[in-house]
Amino acid sequence: MRFLKGNSFLLFLVFLAILVSVVQNAFVLHLLIMVFTSIALGLAWNIIGGYGGQLSFGHAAFYGIGAYTSTLLFVHFGVTPWLGMIAGGFLAVVASLILGLPCFRLRGTYFTLATIAFAEVLRILTVYFKELTGGSIGIVLQFKAGFGNLMFRNREPFAYIALGLMALVYYLSIWMENSRLGYYLTALKENEDGARALGINTYQSKLIALMISAFLTALIGSFFAQYLTFIEPESEFSLGLSIAISLPVMIGGIGTAIGPVIGAFLITPLQELLRVYISGEYQGLQSIIYGIILVVVVISIPQGIHKWATGILWGKSKS
Amino acid sequence: MLIIIGQSLISGILMGGIYALVSIGLTLIFGVMNVVNFAHGEFLMIAMYLTFWAFHYFQIDPYVSLLIVTPALFLIGVITQRYLIQYLIQAEHYTQIFATVGMSTVMANAALFFWKADYRMVKTPYMSSTLNFSDLVFSYPRLISFFVAIAITILLFLFLKHTYLGRAIRATAQDNIGAKLMGVNINRVYILTFGLGSACVGVAGALLMPIYYAFPTVGLHFVLTAFVVVVLGGMGNITGALFGGLVIGVVEAFSGFFISPELKEAVYFVIFVLVLLVKPAGLFGLTKG
Amino acid sequence: MQVLKDVSLAVPKGEIVSLIGANAAGKTSMMNAISSLVPISDGEVLLEGKRIDPLPSHEIVELGIIQVPEGRRVFPYMTVKENLLMGSYNRRAREKNHESLKRVYDLFPRLAEREDQLGESMSGGEQQMLAVGRGLMAVPRIMMLDEPSLGLAPIIVEMIFRVLQQVNRQGITILLVEQNVKESLDIAARGYVLENGRIVLEGPGKDLLQNAHLKKAYLGM
Repeated sequence: MRFLKGNSFLLFLVFLAILVSVVQNAFVLHLLIMVFTSIALGLAWNIIGGYGGQLSFGHAAFYGIGAYTSTLLFVHFGVTPWLGMIAGGFLAVVASLILGLPCFRLRGTYFTLATIAFAEVLRILTVYFKELTGGSIGIVLQFKAGFGNLMFRNREPFAYIALGLMALVYYLSIWMENSRLGYYLTALKENEDGARALGINTYQSKLIALMISAFLTALIGSFFAQYLTFIEPESEFSLGLSIAISLPVMIGGIGTAIGPVIGAFLITPLQELLRVYISGEYQGLQSIIYGIILVVVVISIPQGIHKWATGILWGKSKS
Repeated sequence: MLIIIGQSLISGILMGGIYALVSIGLTLIFGVMNVVNFAHGEFLMIAMYLTFWAFHYFQIDPYVSLLIVTPALFLIGVITQRYLIQYLIQAEHYTQIFATVGMSTVMANAALFFWKADYRMVKTPYMSSTLNFSDLVFSYPRLISFFVAIAITILLFLFLKHTYLGRAIRATAQDNIGAKLMGVNINRVYILTFGLGSACVGVAGALLMPIYYAFPTVGLHFVLTAFVVVVLGGMGNITGALFGGLVIGVVEAFSGFFISPELKEAVYFVIFVLVLLVKPAGLFGLTKG
Repeated sequence: MQVLKDVSLAVPKGEIVSLIGANAAGKTSMMNAISSLVPISDGEVLLEGKRIDPLPSHEIVELGIIQVPEGRRVFPYMTVKENLLMGSYNRRAREKNHESLKRVYDLFPRLAEREDQLGESMSGGEQQMLAVGRGLMAVPRIMMLDEPSLGLAPIIVEMIFRVLQQVNRQGITILLVEQNVKESLDIAARGYVLENGRIVLEGPGKDLLQNAHLKKAYLGM
């Protein structure tokens, strides 16, 4: 599948960019923005979750840190979100160290549970420090159009930025796959003790991967805060968000760069369409449908659609 | 000051009994079937709503509707196991987490859709009655709920220890191939276990109604607490879940009082991570009580 | 992966039959196939002329075909007594559990002494006694033992094999799968040798012990 990476994807990106410029419908643009963001988030998660095999269900923590950092800097100090993003990214890296340094000693499910607790603690703290963060009411960003503010009247620029972020994370993933870090991660994912016996510092590898993942996730959190112009602890730090971040990866295929792309293109439009067309008086119905689809897909295709489809098209691949 | 500490302690222990009951179901399911069930809290939610309606429409007291709600939840558990969970038994934990979170989303939102978001409360005549002992105040409903929770735990324990079926469940948890060689029908054991685990949660739901309120997402809070208790007590360890529940109840009460009510959850999550780091097998090690 | 390629053996009622083979010859696979723990892709298992291979594992046990597995597999966090009681889980055995328990304690006094001890804390020999005792609790018609002598001191092996002969005289058919060639062929009425998934030798136990190939390959003579 190597030919799909590199050049093919570039073509795909160009196609998407053209698509964005051509599409006038605000809702379709919104869908595209959602898809690009999902892919970017999924790819970022994949760095530690897919390549590293350390399944975090607490990535909302990094997302929220990004969102809140850039927003607070923007709202209180007028700092441009472009810088605020980077600040958020660094704070997320610090947080990832706080999480990873102790918790990477944990294996498997225990690590996952720790990440869930981590995100929850951040959520609770965010609600608690009301004067700083606005508490559970959240923060509304005053709309002031301008590139420096990362706010636009039209959705098109947002879509381009989202596409850019997506491309950034995608190519970073590919680069990482082929780097030494990538090889170390593959080794430790396969067999951590074995990798260590070979002299690989698995602890350090996991930490680096988590830091990169956290940084990127935070960037996207900041971006999205600017897009929605509203943040609140419930949306930015919830378990539901963490699940939603990793879902396209799970569905599309963990540990591949193309997996999140497939997964997001399948899941995200569905989610948004359900939300828009079924919401309102049928409150909750869209989540019911969404949840049912999730359960059915996860149970019937646990290896992800990418592996399932390639399995069908090209026969059983040697793993 | 001493009185305040004493009061917190009591309050924590009483609530802890219920946490224990919720967690026992979860740890049993994990120990026997190796399934991480994030939808566990939604069973609690269903039990609470059933209790609410029994009271609202038929004026049945929650402690009486226990007798209906428990078998109902057992049945719901059996059906869920038969049609959903059994496919997750061989799956990786992360698949189980995704799938059960999905189930939890469906159930919580179905509740939201059909029953709306309003908080439901049960107002029994003895709700505000208290038992006063020197300067300490015991709320009647909490007291009753606590004792029923403990009683059910003891019953479950006796069942597991002294009956053939109970031993079969424990055997399956310890070595399911060995159990098969003894003639145990593993699939039936799984169904029974999930049913039992759900029934425990059912009891907890009925016991909670007089002291708490029902709403569609009430499950989420309790399931996270249950996971903390389960890890604390050792996954699969029932006695551990009992003590873990009491400990968490007390920790919650104390942190609510000494630190801040809003931060009490954060405190036990931090403790949770500390336990994971220091003794991941739980405070009570690996023995399957 | 297919382990057994061409296996045909018969265990006459009331006899002790030994199946000899080196590691990975397929002995455990065969036992697990009979116990219905693994599926059979081709072939049949017959009990008194009737096919039992389609049955699930718990029904095989109900029919009285009891496996004492390789490595003992005692329940680690259950006491000796609880392990034994698990042995009598099947319906036929349950009503008889009192007499069965007494009988097992008579055969293995050590188990009676350690009644309340946890499975995991017992020595290898004690665990094997427990496993055999547990098998007996199931009121077996046929008892299949997978390498009971593995890792045990010769004196304990001797004791266990004596017990096997004793229960065999009381009517229990025994299929003994072993790497320990001499001891198991000594007590066997009939023996089979399994190599790489195939039966390569069969005959009365005593005759096999005199067989040249066997002596060279398995007894190092």
